[in-house]
Amino acid sequence: MSTLQVADTSVQPAAAPPDAQPAPSRRGPLLTPRRSNVILVLLGAILLPTLTYRAMPLLPSTYPLALAVSTSLAVGALSLNLLVGYAGQISLGHGALLGVGAYAAGIVTSGAGWPMWIALPVAAAISGLIALVIGFPALRLRGLYLAIVTISFGFMMYNFVLQWSGFTGGSSGVNLVRRLWGGDVLTAQSDMLAAGLVVLVLAWLLDSNVTRSKLGRAFRAIRESEPVAGSFGIDVARYKLLAFVLSGALAGVAGALYGFTLYLVNSETFNPPVGLDFSLLLLIIVVVGGLGSRAGAVIAAFVFEMFEFLIGDRFGTSSFIYGIFPMLGSLLLMFTVAHHPDGFAGVVRERRGHRRRKLAAAAADESEHPMPVLPSMPRPAEATRTLDLAGGVPLLDVEGVSMRFGGLVAVDGASLTVNRGEIVGLIGPNGAGKTTLFNCISGLLRPDAGRVRMGGRDISTLSAHERAALGLSRTFQQIGLAKDQSILENMLLAQHVLAGYGSSSALVYTGRVARSEEQMRARALEAITALGFGGREDVPVRLLSGGQQRIVEVACALLTDPDLLMLDEPSAGMAPVMAESLADRLRDLRDSMGRTVLLIEHNVPLVLDVCDRVYVLTAGRVLAGGTPEEILAHPEVINAYLGEAVA
Amino acid sequence: MITALVVGLVQGGTFALIALGLVLCYRGTRVLNFAQAEIGAASLFIAWIVVGAWHKPYWMGALAAIVFAVLVGLTFERLIVRPMAAASRLTVAVGTIGLFGFLVAAEAYLNGPTPRFLPPPIRGSIDIAGVAVSYTQLLTFGVIALIAGGLTAFLRRTDFGLGVLASAQDATAARLVGIPQAAVSMFTWGVASALSALAALLIAPTITYFGPNAIGPQLFIGGLASALLGGLTSLSGAIAGGLVVGVLASEATQIAPNGVAGIYTVVLFAIVVGVLLIRPQGLLGRAPARAESA
Repeated sequence: MSTLQVADTSVQPAAAPPDAQPAPSRRGPLLTPRRSNVILVLLGAILLPTLTYRAMPLLPSTYPLALAVSTSLAVGALSLNLLVGYAGQISLGHGALLGVGAYAAGIVTSGAGWPMWIALPVAAAISGLIALVIGFPALRLRGLYLAIVTISFGFMMYNFVLQWSGFTGGSSGVNLVRRLWGGDVLTAQSDMLAAGLVVLVLAWLLDSNVTRSKLGRAFRAIRESEPVAGSFGIDVARYKLLAFVLSGALAGVAGALYGFTLYLVNSETFNPPVGLDFSLLLLIIVVVGGLGSRAGAVIAAFVFEMFEFLIGDRFGTSSFIYGIFPMLGSLLLMFTVAHHPDGFAGVVRERRGHRRRKLAAAAADESEHPMPVLPSMPRPAEATRTLDLAGGVPLLDVEGVSMRFGGLVAVDGASLTVNRGEIVGLIGPNGAGKTTLFNCISGLLRPDAGRVRMGGRDISTLSAHERAALGLSRTFQQIGLAKDQSILENMLLAQHVLAGYGSSSALVYTGRVARSEEQMRARALEAITALGFGGREDVPVRLLSGGQQRIVEVACALLTDPDLLMLDEPSAGMAPVMAESLADRLRDLRDSMGRTVLLIEHNVPLVLDVCDRVYVLTAGRVLAGGTPEEILAHPEVINAYLGEAVA
Repeated sequence: MITALVVGLVQGGTFALIALGLVLCYRGTRVLNFAQAEIGAASLFIAWIVVGAWHKPYWMGALAAIVFAVLVGLTFERLIVRPMAAASRLTVAVGTIGLFGFLVAAEAYLNGPTPRFLPPPIRGSIDIAGVAVSYTQLLTFGVIALIAGGLTAFLRRTDFGLGVLASAQDATAARLVGIPQAAVSMFTWGVASALSALAALLIAPTITYFGPNAIGPQLFIGGLASALLGGLTSLSGAIAGGLVVGVLASEATQIAPNGVAGIYTVVLFAIVVGVLLIRPQGLLGRAPARAESA
């Protein structure tokens, strides 16, 4: 299978053969993400400004200004792309966040006399803080609430705060002083452009660190499905807020850059009476450029701004074509969402998508095979367990759990225990409340009554992602994977709770992050190879058959090295050949990997065959519990459920 | 105080009309329409052309504005909303932002910065308990009561209306029981656009002169806060929310010291944040977990 793996030009540590490394390096290929980071920084900090500095005298004198404006718009586009493109949350008040950054930079440079390079982080901090405050109420909820809060915020900023003459200078605005240190001031626009480009490179770097760490994976998973992200152990509300705060901070930097370029900001700078409001302009740029595409956002920012500038330069700002520019931009936005929702970057990607389609073709039609042996995947030694498992208590102890939906009692005082090393089955007719009970145990639902304990610890009040971090992992009847993402991405997502680094170190991609990422990737690829998906790790999960998706899902659950594995109808969607091999795979989990399993399954003979103990649920109540033999002999069970199926 | 209350109720009534349109589109097609108020604001310029430039009677201008708004809404529905029935709701919402931007840009380009004035439908006022209430304000109350009552009754009493309300919960199921989704989509967008034009026409006398991008954002944020306060899915909540928000905004403007303009925008923002923090399901809506995931 691994022979299918063609030479991959992207920077992927595990994809390169091990002998490609030079002698001094301990492991991995030449261009690790960290090293390419360093190269990018050097390139950005030295080459770009020098080049632009040399090139600018060759261009007409108005170009440096237009290019500097484009640069700040590009930073703004990166900021909005991070939020909308990665995390799938809309902000309609980004112009106001840019404004906050610009005013902050103006107040500290002209008021307090600070140099501009200190003003940029100050702008980032203040805009980020405001994003934190206004994002908090909206992002706890699922839906378009961030759009609602941010549009109201922008309206208030434009019509009240920025008009308020005492603090923000009203319509006369605030000056931004481009002082570097001492009496040195950046006077030429080409100098400002060079400075802006350095900032753009840094922003690009930050953004790429986000996308290749657990942050970006969490954002993308949230964009696709919040419940799926939550079941991977991602704290959805926290990560959405983190995306908005990062985006807000970058927006503050973009606004400050824009302000420094213009020397002055006032209440109309980001909400001009003629032309597009910055919130709308940035949205057009990131959607047309391609949501989720860093290069698309930056290129679109430059293309839009330079196009408008060149039209104005060539035909004059009172020309017909210049006047209809805002209308054209809005029409382009509507056209893009209706016909090319992935924007320009999506069109380019589609054109280059032949290889992926071939891989997908290779992926299909393998469901007639038995289920492969599942890899055990113990967790790395340094990822310590947070749950102290006391001896003598059951691993899972569910006591009197009840769950009501309106008038319907789905689960009614259900109790069960699962001991370490057991396979416990949960059977019952449709609508008996099995999945609801699973949801109560895994934390997706908060039961109306009852307790859930794991290893003696009461976990009833913990959320799903907290329970996942404690070593409780589950699969879903309808496949709980991020289906638009690749197999590899899902397997990395599954290890979210194991990632040995924090969000702030992810932003600078420290050595610790690099090592942790490398390790997670190696584990994922090991699992992928073991399952026979080698060479197809980049295939999106939705292109796999139902059975293959199930295999990936169970493997993802195993990658967290769970203490308790909860499987909700694993045979659903499997072809018969594969379903037959399920019993052996379940026994492997217990016998050779020492896992503990709680299993919902409609295939009663399978359950009676592999389970150590079985609970029968009817109408939300536990009707009986015991060994398969006891269950088979239980008269009520035979009456209520099994009937002639086993007779 | 009392005068501000009357002004607030008029303004709140127009917020309620916008909020009704938002709820209607949200329930009919699960789209939050960010152009909901701008459709009406743009059509005010049509009314001005008919009444102000061509010197035709007011009712003709109002009719032209409503017809224009409905045409805009139906065109958008046909070209963007319906083809994107299967697309993510986030993407469709972005499309409505595009419509908003287009209308604002078109107003600015075609009209220029010149402010326009639309005379009130009826001149004169009447003294009610010591407060001068203009006939236009009375007319506004009447129109809003008529629409709110009529629309709610239509949606709740007729099969088609119930179908519209059912579509939001489960479009597939609604289609399976024979509710034509295309008709529901056209109905919600057409009616919502007409409501938008009515709201703009009714608030215009209070605002007197209007330029491009002047009435729309104010009506929209007010309507949005009202819909949110009402629960985003509730028709009666939208109306109640509109009146509450309108009065609060008007009283805030009354209380604020001279020279502090735009204080009502702070009130609207505070209402939005307050609802999300304290009662995300609004006064009369369903639990927020049911809110459509974008």
